[in-house]
Amino acid sequence: MNRRGFLRGAAGAGLAIGAGGLPSFGRRLAAANAGPNLSRVEARYYVKHPDREIECKLCPRLCKLGDKERGYCGVRENDGGTYYTLVYGKVCSANVDPIEKKPFFHVLPGTTAFSLATAGCNVNCKFCQNWEIAQVRPEQVEAFDLAPEAAAARAAGSGCPSIAYTYTEPTVFYEYMYDTAVRAKGRRLRNLVVTGGHINPEPLTDLLAVVDAVKVDLKGFSEEFYSEYVRGKLKPVLETIRTVAKSKAWLEIVALIIPTLNDGLPQIREMCRWIKGEAGDSVPVHFTRFQPMYLVKNLPPTPVSTLEAARNIALEEGLRFVYVGNVPGHEGGNTYCPGCGQALITRAGYSIETVRLKKGKCTACGTPIPGIWS
Amino acid sequence: MVRARVVVVRSPNAWTTAGDPDPAVVTRMFGRGFALLGDGADERSAAAALFRPDDRVGIKINTIGGRAISTRPEVALSLAGWLAGNGLAAKNLFIWDRTTRELRGAGYAPAAGPDGVRIFGTDTDGVGYGTDLVSHLGVGSLFSKIQTEFATASISLAILKDHGLAGVTAGMKNYFGAIHNPNKYHDSHCDPFVAEVFDSPPVKSRHRLTILDALVVQFHKGPSYHARWANKFGGLVFSLDPVAADAVGWALIERLRAAAGLPTLRDEDRAPDYLLTAEKMGLGRADPASIDTVEETVA
Repeated sequence: MNRRGFLRGAAGAGLAIGAGGLPSFGRRLAAANAGPNLSRVEARYYVKHPDREIECKLCPRLCKLGDKERGYCGVRENDGGTYYTLVYGKVCSANVDPIEKKPFFHVLPGTTAFSLATAGCNVNCKFCQNWEIAQVRPEQVEAFDLAPEAAAARAAGSGCPSIAYTYTEPTVFYEYMYDTAVRAKGRRLRNLVVTGGHINPEPLTDLLAVVDAVKVDLKGFSEEFYSEYVRGKLKPVLETIRTVAKSKAWLEIVALIIPTLNDGLPQIREMCRWIKGEAGDSVPVHFTRFQPMYLVKNLPPTPVSTLEAARNIALEEGLRFVYVGNVPGHEGGNTYCPGCGQALITRAGYSIETVRLKKGKCTACGTPIPGIWS
Repeated sequence: MVRARVVVVRSPNAWTTAGDPDPAVVTRMFGRGFALLGDGADERSAAAALFRPDDRVGIKINTIGGRAISTRPEVALSLAGWLAGNGLAAKNLFIWDRTTRELRGAGYAPAAGPDGVRIFGTDTDGVGYGTDLVSHLGVGSLFSKIQTEFATASISLAILKDHGLAGVTAGMKNYFGAIHNPNKYHDSHCDPFVAEVFDSPPVKSRHRLTILDALVVQFHKGPSYHARWANKFGGLVFSLDPVAADAVGWALIERLRAAAGLPTLRDEDRAPDYLLTAEKMGLGRADPASIDTVEETVA
């Protein structure tokens, strides 16, 4: 059984996996027969225009919508000239995940993150790994109610030191994410955002005041690739990376490498130079393996040798923490000290085998290792 | 490609004194429209030329605009009644759209159609979307099972409206309501996505006829209703050519816009160029010079 089939089966069997007894629907694509479970909470970051029209300011798409229309994300709707989020507190997936799965490699290694998502996304990647919940409208997935305070309480009750807003694109459930993050901070939980980076500077800046770490998917390094395969733009993603890098929040970057589409080594080198120049040499960069999915099923998984070549380029360009992802057991999944080369954190899949850090420093040579370690 | 034929049937009596469409008049308009698609003489043979007696015919309507500017129940039910009286079994006719919520909002009573005609949304229990993605050209979508499993033949019975993003929404774009992710296909004024969704096997293999509800035409600030820019045109537009039907609808919107002193959709940089793309794809005729328009008025 493939992964999708398994997930469907698990969801269909009503398996509750973690999350403190929450119903975990995984990514069940509903037959849409239970009636819509939609919120009606006024959205933030939009302006009203005459004739009941609105303009969304949340993400770079700047959707201009007439009455009764929804944005590109499918989860925000203009009703009578007021813009509403339809997914506030409407959680379609909640799980307790290893933090390494996000992946965050420099944030609380070996812990779990209470991971939440609602339906929706503001891009349409042809290789989307979670399309059954990301590329749908909220009526099309089963969702349960989990108010921000309840989400924070569930996370704390599950023993997770963090909440991750993940699986789909948290920008589209911004209001819910923000309000939950505020409650989570009150409980001394960390807030982690896993995003494609398509968000406008103002909401991003406001969000960074309440979150601790952001992982940005840098899906390619050309506008052509973003236009054709992401249905978005590269420029705002780069701006997001710059903004996060300048903030107090911890930043990690994931680059999914897809055979023939974005695996050109010169372009990967260009990307690494840009990252070092704009975000610094300490930002962890993960080159992760593509698996055929959604609308790109005609390409094989990424050869491990390609990921290794990308990692070598990044190291050559001076990035200090570079990883190979989605290849369990690969040595490129470990964290090495840039001072002495000692393996600081060794990983097997999402599990931690050894940690040789003391107060954020290498136990062998004392080199400080950037990250959130406690 | 052969020339396209588009039939426009109007009636000055399409409205009751209460301001609603008059089903008796609308039914006569359907009769003339079907007849004029052929040689103009025989309504029944026109239906027989389009459908097998055992066809299950999905009548796809557009109800996103609420009661004011959706395919009107009086129109959809009159069509179903006319089809049932001309060789098709009422139990094999269904009027449908995305959701029960939108159907109710437009004045439909789901599952309570007359004489066995059913009315329901894709979100009805036991319906839903197919589970296999249809990847076709630039589109990847799940299709409503109403389109893929229930129907053997399909009529696009769309409301004709101005559309802020697409320029015009009419018969072809109506099939955006058959896919699970229409919000992903409004970039670039829906070009080429409207044409590509129409060209996909679930739609192209079943579509038989386009009819535009042009009783009231929203010619500006659509797709929502604005009385100031809505015209009581009192017409229905018929064509076997899905592109030509919409092209004639576009021309009508431009006429109404010009009469109101509004710029053209091209001048507003939102012309429905997906129709030109559709013509290039061989789906029909968009060039007015290639379309024969037949107009008739019904008492």
